[in-house]
Amino acid sequence: MMVNQTPADGDEPLPSPDAALALIRDQQRSVERNQLGGIPWVLVMWGIAWGVGFLALWSGYDGGNPWFQLPLAVAGAIFGAIFLAASIVSVIVISRLGRGVRVASGFGGTVFGISSSASFVAVYLIGVALARAGADGALISLYLPAGFGMTTGLLFLMGAALWRSVSQVVLGAIIMVTAVVAPFFGAPTNNVVMAVLGGGSFLIAAVAMQLGLKRGR
Amino acid sequence: MIELDPVIHAAARLRISATLASLDDGDRITFPRLQELLDMTAGNLSTHLRKLEDAEYVSVTKAHQGRTPVTFVTLTRRGRRAFEDYTDALRALLGGEK
Repeated sequence: MMVNQTPADGDEPLPSPDAALALIRDQQRSVERNQLGGIPWVLVMWGIAWGVGFLALWSGYDGGNPWFQLPLAVAGAIFGAIFLAASIVSVIVISRLGRGVRVASGFGGTVFGISSSASFVAVYLIGVALARAGADGALISLYLPAGFGMTTGLLFLMGAALWRSVSQVVLGAIIMVTAVVAPFFGAPTNNVVMAVLGGGSFLIAAVAMQLGLKRGR
Repeated sequence: MIELDPVIHAAARLRISATLASLDDGDRITFPRLQELLDMTAGNLSTHLRKLEDAEYVSVTKAHQGRTPVTFVTLTRRGRRAFEDYTDALRALLGGEK
């Protein structure tokens, strides 16, 4: 049933309970689309970052990419630049999600934000400690992607708990499995696992979310 | 006989209530952002907000961000309860309950 709603008025009673429920559903979907519309693009950005970044690293190590090789410094620079770009895009998009809204309790979001940055720094510092204790380059190249991947997966699970999102549970679990499985392939093949399984999961999650927002799941 | 709350049972006020109810309890939204989410004129939104405010379903507060005055709107506890009762009533009507 069509709801005769004009922005200039809207004071008339609704014609039926059906129409009223449809109006509530349509309006809440529209709000959700408006607020979350940028998230699939953030996921695409991370899919590309993981895909291109880890393939670049794979191409930087001896015994990696059989088709072409990059100097390790160049591969590292590509990886760093693309991850930095993805982080900046994420911060911009996510900070705009809640624009115009003053939350009553920002505790959860603040803890999430601070612990995200702190845990990535922690993973890096543990890597430094391992290197100082004698871990060689191959070992560190197994540890760092696994550590960062594991942290990313955990953050998605934390986010899923905070914002009650089942799709985030799935993505977080896949990212964690990827991070745990990748080192078993040894270096530098672990980078291919991170690129394909991790990057691919982000891209699939982006498409799934975009379709969900369109359909108004 | 199930009666629908006449304050909410009008297209514009139902859309406003549905939008505010989609925020977490106690969260406040600025007037311009609410207007953007509803695609309503400022005058029309103000008129309907006043009716919701008279019923104590929404609370409108003014604050300052630097020198700029900002108007915040939030669903009161009473308003949230009224919206939930209203949707329950709609479902009951559709389910054929008396």
